[in-house]
Formats: sequence, structure tokens, C-alpha cells
Amino acid sequence: MLGTIIRPLIRNRKFIGGLSVFLIIVLMGLIGPILYPKDPLSFAGMMETPPSKEFPLGTDTYGGDLLAKLLNGIRTSLYIGFLTAVIAMVIGLLIGSISAVRGGIVDDILMSFTNIVLTIPNILLAILVATYLKVRSAEVIAILLGVLSWPWFARAIRAQLLSLINREYVYLSRLAGYTDLQLAFEDLLPGIATYALMAFILFINGGILGEAGLSLIGLGPTQGVSLGLILQWAVLMESVRRGLWWWFIPPGVIIVAVTSSLLIVTTAMDEVFNPRLRER
Amino acid sequence: MADRSLNPFVKYLGRKFLFLLFTYWIALTIVFILPRAIPGNPLSTLLARLSQQGATNPEAIRAVHKTLMKEFGIDKPWYLQYIDFIGRALRGDLGTSISSYPKKTLDLIIPVIPWTLFLLIPSILTAWIIGNLLGAIAAWRRGSLIDKVALNSSLIIGQIPYYWLGMLLIFILSVRLKIFPGQGGFTQGTIPSLSFKFILDVVYHYILPFLSIVISAIGGWAIGTRMLVVNELDSDYVSFSEHLGVKSSTIFRYVFRNSLLPQVTGLALSIGGALGGALITEIIFNYPGTGYLLFRALSTLDYPLIQGIFVILIASIYLANFFVDFVYAIIDPRIRLGQGEG
Repeated sequence: MLGTIIRPLIRNRKFIGGLSVFLIIVLMGLIGPILYPKDPLSFAGMMETPPSKEFPLGTDTYGGDLLAKLLNGIRTSLYIGFLTAVIAMVIGLLIGSISAVRGGIVDDILMSFTNIVLTIPNILLAILVATYLKVRSAEVIAILLGVLSWPWFARAIRAQLLSLINREYVYLSRLAGYTDLQLAFEDLLPGIATYALMAFILFINGGILGEAGLSLIGLGPTQGVSLGLILQWAVLMESVRRGLWWWFIPPGVIIVAVTSSLLIVTTAMDEVFNPRLRER
Repeated sequence: MADRSLNPFVKYLGRKFLFLLFTYWIALTIVFILPRAIPGNPLSTLLARLSQQGATNPEAIRAVHKTLMKEFGIDKPWYLQYIDFIGRALRGDLGTSISSYPKKTLDLIIPVIPWTLFLLIPSILTAWIIGNLLGAIAAWRRGSLIDKVALNSSLIIGQIPYYWLGMLLIFILSVRLKIFPGQGGFTQGTIPSLSFKFILDVVYHYILPFLSIVISAIGGWAIGTRMLVVNELDSDYVSFSEHLGVKSSTIFRYVFRNSLLPQVTGLALSIGGALGGALITEIIFNYPGTGYLLFRALSTLDYPLIQGIFVILIASIYLANFFVDFVYAIIDPRIRLGQGEG
């Protein structure tokens, strides 16, 4: 069973390419700070020096080592992305599946709620909530982004489950006396697993981009380093107009590389599992 | 179920309108609750800070303090505060700014709104049109070189945040090559007027922020449309028409029209996100729009101004949503003729 899922994926060049880029960046975030153990927040020496042997990515206005900042920033941003995805996923799965299984008035209430959250612009709401929070840890940012981004997923899960529940094999399992839990794990979950995995990946992207956006407005994490915070300081110190390219280009490249590699992985998965999209 | 006495078109729009109105009320309620519910009550912190500053400039600070107390009504019970808040919001009174006291927040917001609309609407429409065409062509020539190049570049370029593309464009085209100005909505020091020279100056400053939104937004639409058209091409009516010998350009037109419908709804849903991105892009470009005002309000903790900007922005997004729903109802014959629930 697992072989039939994994084999076509490994053969897909896009999947392998995307996954490799993503894993390289994950490794940079996980092992990077250990291999390059400089304190990202301390004053390392010269101010605003371009990349050199001593500082491979140069330094910022406060003499901070930008490579150390980048590696630690990757770590924080990925952490925020994953946490956002977990939170959005749990809420979306719960609301979507309860809605599909219960039906009736529960379904109506949950779906109206979902539509309202979907219609309220989540980026604006995130900005507004963050404004009032004096201390914002990485976790607070992730919770904020996660709690605001689940609705489309809940709707999709509900639609998928509804189409599965009425299939014949589910009916047969019911006749065979399966419990609800057995039904959920053996008949329904496999049907939505790949879809959920793809949604999880998109939520990670949403978390990483959301953190960067909030940080640029000045509402990012209040301590530590993240990709968004590096960009924020680069903007505040006018690095773009003063030509300090080594400051604002690397964090942006990493953000684009992470999110597009993950997107390529999901498209490849979609091609493999969705027969309609297979190339003729 | 269908009420025969009512035009289905009107019924559809009426339902959409009521839903948006209801959602707007909820958004207003959130704006009301947030500062009061968050631990360490930011409002009382702000008032305390103001009264400390009172030592240096007692007269002015006392006036601000008094206005704030009145507008937030902190001494009153919450339900009176709430009724007061909604009532004033409906009358268009969004309170008094702290950082630009004694100006009303609405008077600060209204001049910047046109700049944001001027930046946002043409750029998201341009991106939507180019993206949809690109996606449809890619799907039509599925597997060809055009398709591969369009799809793969869309996947990557579509992930570039507007603001970072903006930074790259400023760095390359303004700082290095000195072709375009890298900041502002017009040359500093000039006085806005309707003269030809000023308009040219505005267009000149417009190009970079416009491009940074258009280029990064095209990819998402292209990928979406490509998928929709590919799905549509597999439907029965396409193979039926092919067997009948209908010209392929005619089939393409049918398929394109059918695939566009979900993308119109997508446009309505994307406005909020696009606005968020555009606000940050404005900050990068020092563009004199709402994003820039919001940034200033955030750095001075001007809560009434921040709240006011939100109330206005959410209302604008809902108006835009409703307009897109209206267009959707016109182009979708199922709604116009009252079949299906759209």
C-alpha cells in the first residue's frame, strides 16, 4: 500500500527537486546555528560591511552578523510556519468533519461561522490583534495566524467527506457493524489524507509569509530573529535605497525558495494522485 | 423552495448583501471588543501614559485625555459603550486621532484612500486578466514548452511577496540603473494639481509599485486557471463538440468562459489578502496611501486612528466583494435565470 503511494512520487522529478530544496533550507535552520555558532543578536564588529571571509553575508547597521541572523531566522520562521499549519489543520479538520458527519443544524451553524471567518479579511484582523499585544512570542504569532486561516480548509474537508460518506463501500462498512471511529480511520481518512497533507503544506507557506508581513509592519515577534524581522530592520534602516543588498536579498530569497519549493511539492503530489492532471 | 414572486437575480444579491452586512457588524464588534478584552487593557495603558506626559504639556494632554475618555467611554458600562460605538461608527464618526490631535480620524483617512485604490484596483485587475489568459493558454497547450515555462515560472514568481519584489525593483531599477523613482507617490515638494506635468509625475512614480503587485500576483491566477481549464477540457461537452467537429477556437471560448466563473469568485475572496500585501508595499515605497498612514498610526500607538483605518478598510473590501458578486450574477446565466443556487 505504502509502496504504491511512494514509488510514483520518487519517480516525479518535480517532487524530488522541490523536496530537496525544502530539506536543504530545513537543515540550514536546524543545523546551521550549530555549525555557525555566532550570537545573532550581539555586536560582531564592523557596521554595514559587505560579505567577506569573516562575515559571509556581511553585517547590518548594528554590526550584527547577518549569516547568523539568517540561520536563526530560518529556524524561527519555519517553526512559526509549522505551528501555524498544525493549529489551522486541527481547527479545520474538527469543524469540517463534525459539520459533514453531524449534518443538520450543527452543519448550518458551523458553516455560517466558517463563512463569516472566511469573509473577514484575516491579514487585517491579524494586524489589529497584534497591535494590542505588547509581548509577541513566535508562538503568539503562529496562534494568531493559525486561528485566522483554517476556514477554506474546513469547507474543503466537509465537501470531500460528504462525497465520501455516501459511497457504497462506506455503507457496506456500516452494515458490517463498523464503529464511527473505525469508519473514520479506515474508510474516510485515507480518502482525505493526501488532500490534508497538501493543505498542511500550504498552511506552512501561509505562516511563513504571514510572519514576514506582520514583521514588516512592525508587528512581528518582539524578541529573537526571524526572516521577517531581518527584512523589517533592513527596511527601517533604508538598506534598499542605500544599496546594502546583502541585508535584504538573502531573507527574501529564502522565503521564496521555501514557499515555492513546498508549492512545487504539492503540485507534483497533485499530478501523481489526481489522474486528470497526469500529462497525457 | 424558490420564491416565484421575486426575481432570482435580486434575491441572490439581497442574500449576499445581508450576509456582508451581518459580517460587517461582526467585524465592528471585534474592533470594539479587542482593546477591551486583551489583558493589560491597552486603552488604560495609553491613558496612563498620556497622563504621565501631562506633566510636561498639561493643557494639550488633558484635552486629548478628555476626548479619549469620552469617545471610549471607559467609565460607562460595556453595553452603553457598545451602543455608543456602533452608533458613532454608523454615523461615520470614527473618533479623534491622538497623534494628530484634534483632527478626526476620518479626515485623516479619506485623503489617503484614493491613493490605495489607485494602486490596488488597476494592479489586481491587470494581474487577474493576464494570469487567466496565461493559465488558459498553458492548459490548452498542455505539455508543450509554453505550458512548462508558464507553469514553473508561475509557481516560483507567484510566491514572491509583493513587498519583497518591490524592494528588488527599487534596488535594480531605481538605485542601480536610476530609471524610475524609488519612493513616494510624486516628486517631493510639488503640490498636487491636475496639471499635465503633475499627472505625468504621478504615473512615473506609479510604475514600480504597480509592477511589483502585478508581477507577483499573475502566477497564482495562472496556476488556478490552468487547473480549471484542464478539468473543464475533460468534460463531456468538450469531447462531444470535438466529435461534432466544432472549431477548436470555439470550444476554447466555451471552456474559457466556464473556467472563468470560479475565478471571479476567487477575485472577490482575494481582495482582502491583496490589500494586506498592498499596504506593506506602500510602506516599502513610502507611497502616500493607507498603508503608510497605518504604519504611522502603529508607530505612535494611535489606537483611534488604527481602529478607524480598519473600519474603513473592511467596509471597502465588502463593497468590492459585493460589486464582484454583482458582476458574477450578471455573467452566470444560472443565477440570472434562477436555476441552481450559484
